[in-house]
Parts: sequence; C-alpha cells; structure tokens
Amino acid sequence: MDTGSHLPKTGMIGELSETRYWIYLLLLPSLVIILLVIAYPTIYGMAISFREMRLTRPGLTGWVGFKHYIVMIDDPVFWVALKNTVLWVTFAVVLELGLGFIAATALNRNVPGTGIFAVLILVPYFLPNVVAGHMWALLLDPRLGVINDVLVRIGILSSYKAWFADPNTALAATIFVEAWHGFPFFALLLLAGLKGIPYDLYRAAAVDGAGPIAQFRLITVPMLKSVIAAAVILRVISLVNSPDLLLILTGGGPGDATQVLSLYAFQTAYKDFNFGYASALSVVMFVILMVFAYAYIRLSKIGQE
Amino acid sequence: MQLNRRELLAGATAMALASQMGTARAAGAINYWHHFASQSEMEGLAKIIALFQAKYSGTKVTQEGIPNSEYMAKVSSAVVAGGKPDTGMVITERFADLVAMNGLVDLSARVKAWPGRSSFPDNRWKGLSQDGKIYAVPAFAFVDWMYYRADYFEQAGLSGPPKNFDEFVQAARKLTDPSKGRYAFSMRGGAGAFKYVIDVMEAFGSPIVKDGKPAIDRAAAIEAVTFYSDLFVKEKVVPPSAPNDSYRQIMEAFRTGQTAMVWHHTGSLSEISGALKQGTQFQTAPMPAGPKAQIARVAYAGNGVIKEDNIEAAWQWVSFWGEPEAAIALLEATGYFPASTAALQDPRLTSNKIYDAAVKTLDFGRLPNTFVGAAGWSENVVNPAFQSVLTGQSKPADAVDRMIKGLDAAMR
Repeated sequence: MDTGSHLPKTGMIGELSETRYWIYLLLLPSLVIILLVIAYPTIYGMAISFREMRLTRPGLTGWVGFKHYIVMIDDPVFWVALKNTVLWVTFAVVLELGLGFIAATALNRNVPGTGIFAVLILVPYFLPNVVAGHMWALLLDPRLGVINDVLVRIGILSSYKAWFADPNTALAATIFVEAWHGFPFFALLLLAGLKGIPYDLYRAAAVDGAGPIAQFRLITVPMLKSVIAAAVILRVISLVNSPDLLLILTGGGPGDATQVLSLYAFQTAYKDFNFGYASALSVVMFVILMVFAYAYIRLSKIGQE
Repeated sequence: MQLNRRELLAGATAMALASQMGTARAAGAINYWHHFASQSEMEGLAKIIALFQAKYSGTKVTQEGIPNSEYMAKVSSAVVAGGKPDTGMVITERFADLVAMNGLVDLSARVKAWPGRSSFPDNRWKGLSQDGKIYAVPAFAFVDWMYYRADYFEQAGLSGPPKNFDEFVQAARKLTDPSKGRYAFSMRGGAGAFKYVIDVMEAFGSPIVKDGKPAIDRAAAIEAVTFYSDLFVKEKVVPPSAPNDSYRQIMEAFRTGQTAMVWHHTGSLSEISGALKQGTQFQTAPMPAGPKAQIARVAYAGNGVIKEDNIEAAWQWVSFWGEPEAAIALLEATGYFPASTAALQDPRLTSNKIYDAAVKTLDFGRLPNTFVGAAGWSENVVNPAFQSVLTGQSKPADAVDRMIKGLDAAMR
C-alpha cells in the first residue's frame, strides 16, 4: 500500500509543519475555544460584579465600583453561606476521601468478583445529582422513607425523623448524601494510583519488617500524594460550584441552615434577577477557590517533587 | 467513498435548498413555553394544541415544558441571551417581573379588537396589565380553597369545616393525634411557604404593598407570623417535617391520610380526587377568615407573546386559550377553572357541588400581590425568615423585621 510518505511535502502547510510555529498553529483552535468559552464569560462575569444589573430594573445600570462587595460585608446570609460552604465542602471531601480510600484498597486486591464490585461502587457517581437528590429525598422522607423505617425498627429512633426539616440535622444529612454520591470519584482515581505502585516496594518493606499500617503510611500514602492532591482540588472545585443537590434536598433551608455560596448566588441571580450581586458572590467564590488551590498545592509540596 | 467536485457542488446545493425549505416551514410555526408538568396538565395541553391545529392548520405549535421552579430562570436567561420563545405562560405573581425585563409584548390593540374580549370582565385583565397596557390573555384561574377530610371531621365530632382562624385552631386540636401519626394540617413550610405566610399576614390586617410602596404593618405582621408558626411550634398540629415540606409533601400527607386539612387551590382537585373519594372522604371549603379579612387568591393565569417575530401566529395561539372550547378542554383534563365567563356557565362546572367553594371564593377572592421584585422577596426572604421561626432560630418579630428590610431592598 502506498502511504504517500515518500512524497515531498509541498505548499505552505507542508513548509509550516517543519517550523517551530507549527505547534502554536495546532494549539490555536483550542486557545480560541478557551478564550470564547472560559476567558470571556469569566471576565464578563467579573465585570458585571462592578455594575448594577438587575433584569427587573432595566433603568438601573452603570458602574458601581465595589458597592456589591461592601454590601456583602453587611449581609448576614453571605456569612452564614460562607460558613456552611466551608463545612459542607470540608466534611464531604473528608468523608468521600475516606470512603474512596477504603473502596479503592478493597478493589485493588485481585480477588474474584472485584470487577462487579467496581462497577457497583461507581453507580452512585453515574447518577445525575438531580436523580440522586430526589432518590435520597424519598429514602429519608419523614413519612415514607425506608431509612426512617429501618432506624425505627432496629430501635435507633423512636419515631420517624424529618432530617431536612431540622436545622441541627439538615446540613449533616445533605453531607451524608453528597458523600454517598461523590466517593466513587475518589475510589476511581485512587484505584488507578494504587495500580501504579510497584508491588516490589511492599515486598521489600515486608522483608524490612514493615507491617500493613507502616506500609500504608510509608508507601501507599506518599506514592498517592499527587493523585490525592489532584482529586481533592477537583472535588473541592466541583462541590463549591454545584448547588444542585442542596437545591433539591433543602433549597438552602430550613431558614438558612443549608445555604451555601453557590446556591445563594444562583437564587440571587434567578429569583431576585440581581445579576450584579450574584456575580460579586461568584467572584468571591472564585477567589476563595484560587487561594485554596494555591495554598493546598504549596502545603502538599507537589510542585517540589 | 470519494466525491468529485461536481458531486460535492450538487450535494452542497441540495443541502442549501433543504435548509431554505426548513426556514420556510418554520415561518408558520411557533413555540410555547409553559410550566405544566402533571399527566392531566399535559393531556389538557395536548387537547388544546389539537383543537388549535384543527382551527388554524397553517400554524404549528411546539410546546416546551419547564419545571415551575425554574421557569423564571429559563425565561430570564432567554431574555438576556436573546433566545426568547414566541409565546409563554404568564401567572400574576410573575407578571411584573416579566414586564420589567421586557419579556412580554404589548397586546392592548389586539385585545381591543378581539371578539372574545366580552367574555372577560375587567378583573380578569388586572393581573395581566400594567399602566393601561395588556400583556397577556387570561386562560384559566387558580382559586384558593381548603381541602378537608370529611371522614376525619365526622370521627372527631366536628360538624363542618372551620369558617375562621379560631375555629381552625379548635378543629386542629381535635384532629391531631401524633400517636396515630395523624396531624390536623399540612403546613407548607418549604418551597412556596411564602404564599400562605403572606395570606395570613393580610388576614391579620397587614398589607404588603400599597400604591407601589412597601406597606407591611409590623405589629399585625408579627401577630400573624406568631399565630401561623404556633400551629407548628406550640400547638403541634402540623407534621414535624413542615419546615421542609413543599407542594409534593403537603399533598402526599393529605392523600395518605397523615393530615386532615390542606390549603391549596383548584389546580390540585384532580390529583386529590384520584386518591380520595369526593364527598365521603374529602370535601372542599372556602379558606377560613382571619381576624381582619378573609384571604383567598384568585390567580388568573394567561399566555403572552414574548417574541414578535411570528406575532400573527403567536396572537392566534394565545387568544385561542381564551376561547370556551379550549377552556373546557383544560377543565375536563385538569379541573382548572376557566377565566372566561362564557366557559364558567358550562353545566359540567355548575352542576358539580365540589366547585361550590370556588364559586363562593370568586366573590371575595383577591388577586395575588404583584410588584417588581415579588418573586425574589417571597422566595429568598419570606421563606427562610418564616422557616427560621418554625425551627426556633429566630422569633416572629425578627422574621418580620427581615421581611420588611428585604421588601424595602427589593422595591428600591
């Protein structure tokens, strides 16, 4: 078969492909898409945060400087939402990481049936947030919920509990649902990381007298450090930015007990139609995430390895 | 497969022609955004579309359902991004916001020239008009009323439904028995709670907005929020899940026998009739009166033109909803009250006793409050403020202060 590879390259493209500019040309389409889809909306969103933009008040417009940010300082809902965001993300990520580690370690043992378990463990992650939210709203329902029924039957509860209606349990209940939904993400990434650790390391450590805990502490965790760091950053970004589960389970209530920044920004934009203030809230979230990612990478010393 | 230049040109020409044909077909087509969701609503909509297509064969209607809670988010995004539909459903509570964001086309001239206009008294247009301009044609009405379990009332020795708030509390105490998992009242404390909080405030004599300005009477409002929240906090005649209960939960509680009374409107009649027997198991009654007023809303829902590109076809569609044949088709499928007086004379409506409470309510019912910023204030301020009282996080006075401050900010 003649592939034509022996033919001399002709024309401008042929000549260009031999130069160092070729690589930039290949990157150009991606760059244009990134500028249009990511950079432009981000910059535009930041610009709106310094403007008055309320859809129901078309007459109110123009630059307002830092007005929205100053209002935010005196907005009690913002501070509650910020506190809840920290709690929601921290507890959800810690739980998901822990459960993910357990699942990944179990799946990494090459015993029969792990393939099926691997698929089953991933099922929660395949479910869209909306479906998972409605499913858990039903499971924890104070009238029809299976979980309440089981807890009453085994004597843990004396009567059905309205988990999402009590401010003392609402946030915890939503974190539980989120942990169930998100832990396969960690399991998947950690399992891939575990598969990459040479078994010889464990064998050598065993010869040196290291037990399972020492092996886990001295080999597994350090070898997975980059994977853990990447997974945590991705998950934190995803959790901070996604209000959908909370929107379905509690709508931010009762009161403001489960109000988080992303949900507050969503409600401000699409219920109040106040896009200026909602953009300012989003910019604050963006800055918090940037600071977190920078600090986390510095502290975990990934860049130095 | 390889194409030569001639084949490529022929293909491109054919595709260009096909796209032109598509454009030509689209000229007689309009799309319609609505927030119907239940099976009965979708059946009613399908019937109306079929009747419309039979009358106006040259216009094709494509419907798109949007969840009620997301409707305004989608419409506002469409307005900002320039992807507006031709027509859309409009309810009174959202009307002011839609007009303010230039989301509706002025239909005044067309309505004046429309023969069907005589079937709609002035009050039908009030919630869909602003500054003398009409922006939507009324189609159906949601009339507030109360559903009650006739069998539970009989068991409790109650002769009839409560006529005022005092009787309501007395009856609620008799109807509640937590040991049986039975509570008197399905309180909506989750999404949509604001509606009844506002109604109770007005029933205690506090207006919300007067002459376009915030007008909450703090003392009356505190009294109202105290009374209403006490049903949960002190009287405990409401299921413990109330602070998170929205439409689905309050209806589920009533249908499954957990509660004996629920406040809603005529729109849920077909759903409740599907689970309980009319007359023996459940009955309907006008909303109980408060100390200062008897508050029940009569909310006319209509349809408006959102984009002018296909204005003729769009007008045919939105005005068709006001015709008696469309109104009766919707009534048969959903039980939704017609807005047109011509359709209200239909024997299927006048001969059914279950509608008596709604017919009585038409005499005193009020339009919902409609002002720019109403949706945001109701959902983002009134809901969490009231929930925080239910859950003991704040006192009624604090909640009312938050509502007053939020209303001032919303209307500023």
